[in-house]
Amino acid sequence: MSAGISNAPGTSSGSLLRRAGWRLERRLEVKPWHEVVTLVGAFIIGLAICSILIAASDKSVVDSYRALFDGAFGSRRAIYETLVQATPLIFTGLAAAFAFRAKVWNIGGEGQFFAGAMGAYFVSDLWSGVLPRGVMVPVLFIGAAAAGALWASIAGVLKARYDTNEIITTVMLNFIILLILSYLLGDLWRSPDTFYFQTVTLPESTHLPLMIGGSRLHWGFGIAAAMAVVVYVVLRRTALGYEVRGVGINRTAGSYKGISVPRVTVLVMAISGALAGLAGAAELAGVHHRLQLDISNNFGFVGIIIALIGRLHPAGVVVSAIAFGALVNGAVTMQIQTGIPAALVDVIQGLSLIFVLTGAVAVRYRLQRTRTDESLPALADPTDE
Amino acid sequence: MNGSGANSVLLRASGVTKRFPGVVANDDITLEVQRARVHCLLGENGAGKSTLADLFYGVHEPDEGVIELRGEPIHMVSPRDAIAAGIGMVRQHFELVTPMSVLENVVIGTRGEAKVDLRTARVRLGELCDLYGVEVDLDTPVGDLAVGQQQWVEILKALYLGCEVLILDEPTAVLTPEGIERLFTTLRRMASEGLTIVLITHKLHEVMEISDDVTVLRRGRVVRTSLTSEVTMAGLTRMMVGRDVDLDIDVAEASRGDLVLDVSGLDVATESGRGSLKQVSLVVHEREILGIAGVSGNGQDALFDVLVGMQPAAAGTIVVDGQDMAELSPAARLDLGVASVPADRIHQGLMMDFRISENLILGRQRSDRFGRRGWLNQNDIARFADDSFANYDIAAPSPTHVTRVLSGGNLQKIVMARELAGQPRLLIVHQPTRGLDIGATEYVRRRLVEERDRGAAILLISEDLDELLNLSSRIAVMFDGRIVGEVDRRDATIDRIGMWMAGVSGTPGEAPP
Repeated sequence: MSAGISNAPGTSSGSLLRRAGWRLERRLEVKPWHEVVTLVGAFIIGLAICSILIAASDKSVVDSYRALFDGAFGSRRAIYETLVQATPLIFTGLAAAFAFRAKVWNIGGEGQFFAGAMGAYFVSDLWSGVLPRGVMVPVLFIGAAAAGALWASIAGVLKARYDTNEIITTVMLNFIILLILSYLLGDLWRSPDTFYFQTVTLPESTHLPLMIGGSRLHWGFGIAAAMAVVVYVVLRRTALGYEVRGVGINRTAGSYKGISVPRVTVLVMAISGALAGLAGAAELAGVHHRLQLDISNNFGFVGIIIALIGRLHPAGVVVSAIAFGALVNGAVTMQIQTGIPAALVDVIQGLSLIFVLTGAVAVRYRLQRTRTDESLPALADPTDE
Repeated sequence: MNGSGANSVLLRASGVTKRFPGVVANDDITLEVQRARVHCLLGENGAGKSTLADLFYGVHEPDEGVIELRGEPIHMVSPRDAIAAGIGMVRQHFELVTPMSVLENVVIGTRGEAKVDLRTARVRLGELCDLYGVEVDLDTPVGDLAVGQQQWVEILKALYLGCEVLILDEPTAVLTPEGIERLFTTLRRMASEGLTIVLITHKLHEVMEISDDVTVLRRGRVVRTSLTSEVTMAGLTRMMVGRDVDLDIDVAEASRGDLVLDVSGLDVATESGRGSLKQVSLVVHEREILGIAGVSGNGQDALFDVLVGMQPAAAGTIVVDGQDMAELSPAARLDLGVASVPADRIHQGLMMDFRISENLILGRQRSDRFGRRGWLNQNDIARFADDSFANYDIAAPSPTHVTRVLSGGNLQKIVMARELAGQPRLLIVHQPTRGLDIGATEYVRRRLVEERDRGAAILLISEDLDELLNLSSRIAVMFDGRIVGEVDRRDATIDRIGMWMAGVSGTPGEAPP
């Protein structure tokens, strides 16, 4: 026969792994300890790679990391400060984790943080003169949660009704809320005794009480930790949580069995937004006491990283938020003592995330020996006739 | 036909077995493909056709058995090896770079040259197009081509890489009738020029139209390889849906009770027009199983979806116990006592990453049985799971294990346990034993009969004719979205139903081989 075709050059290198007689096989079940190993391993690899950067700049790796650790956990004061840094991240991390569990990609934590802070400021401005602190503080948190939920719901409803991509809408809403805030700070809410874009300092009745007197550690941390428990309980013990996880795992099967995916989507967005909004309230009432444009250190976005590193588990979120808080806090000490820029911790954070995500995929597989009995026979000669 | 190549075996599978977790996709397959002929692999969805093709193309390695080309065993670990050996394949999902031109897409598969000589490539590709009568503009970006045209690009890629065997996996699914005509003309021409064509399909008339040889696969095994000239459509139908020897369940006729489901004038539109429903009417009574037969793709999916509430009805009524539920949500239908077992248990029926116990309550997570006011009662769920494990012989380490670890039969048992727990009035079942081994198949069938005897009305949609003849009180046949015939089980014959399934109305005029 002749098809009139010359054979094109082919190669037969194949996969090295498979030629060596190994094969990657999907694990049927990923155990919790696999996740823990991934998390810790990723963090250690992140630190290890950064130590190369440190060594390359002729600094002592050991001294640098010791300074980092001392700054984060070296004293009571350092630990409290780490927890202060971790507080907003726990909220925003929980916000992202909750939404991601349903595969609702809420990237608008940053905007919802500001919406929450604005809601908290709004009710404080309205009632701080009237209500006692014991009532004012809870009301302020409720206002923040409502505002965050409302803001996020815009994207939720758009997705549920029109199948709009929530990644795009939530990101866009971040810009919009910041512009609205700029407008308010420049006009209605601007403090009369300054030309900065900021409000007046809110009165004592709106201040979150401290958990530890003499430190900066406020009850926002306690509320954040409590919210982690609440989120865990909701996810595991309620029908809503069941539906949220179900929609994330397989929304087709969910709809066949009567779960309303649009309804769950809107609810998830709202709850996620409320959690991010609480971060805004905690920062306003616990740390800054007045509203300005720089009260967020990218908390909304970092919350996404926290959620992913924490493997979307509330406990994982708390642990990784504290780790991130520690890095941010320790970086200052490290910079002062060794001259290494605090920005290095951003590198550690970024690398850790990359390795956690890689590890999260890798952990689903295991290496399996395929054949040991025979060496692989050579391929038939592709040239024909 | 080209005489020199006839009757020589080019590609051969001997004793090939391929297992995936929970299924034996190919079970001891032996098959010979003759040189310069068009060879069809025919079988229902899930019969193992695509897996076999993937084995020929090096996508998977067989667990047992050997694949031989030109009489010599070849060991392939990736499609690259298959291409090098002279085997090309057009898969169902194209692998094209859409912003690049046709020419670039074809050349991109050639490796090992530092610089691609586009001018030479253009000339050679032009020759190929002329040889086989392929009309494609080489400079158009692939993304601008219609899907049917993109398939030609895939075919050209395989030819350009020098394939001697061209495997096409369900190539007509994306084509218009004219497109199919053109494809078949070209395929015949290729065969007469010496190329060997392996065509995968589940459409009988395509087999009759194009192929020289046909191999029927069923449940991962070869039923038979025949010359197409020696088989009839009815005979092929019979081989496809097959006859299970040990699965005869002694079904005593139950006397049917009150009317439960009354569907009338049901229209369902689908986006592509394929698999839509046209004026479907049917009734199911208490203690009755109505079987729906048909070759896949004739509206069964739409029928299932519209009955459970996943697809809206364009016209018609779906009355259950006197209430029209055509406008109700899936959840509301569950509350009316409508249970369902979908065909695709992994994607439509189960949450594979849920615990087994969680899957057992899917759809009833808000019922009072498993909690109150939105709280889940873990004890109630655990007790129900234990009962289900005992009652349904579910073989799993424990109810708290993740569902993913289970085999196909056990997955189906979970779905059955869940759906039957509520003692449904109406049970809609789609392909309940597809992909299951004999034991699980028999189990599922027995359960359905028990449910019928309890008093449920059951609608059984299946592509397995034996199953239908075995279980149904009446059998209706779907073709092209319509019910083309209905027959009482006592009067049903495989031939009669086979004719209806093949789209031939009236009474059968020929005997199967």
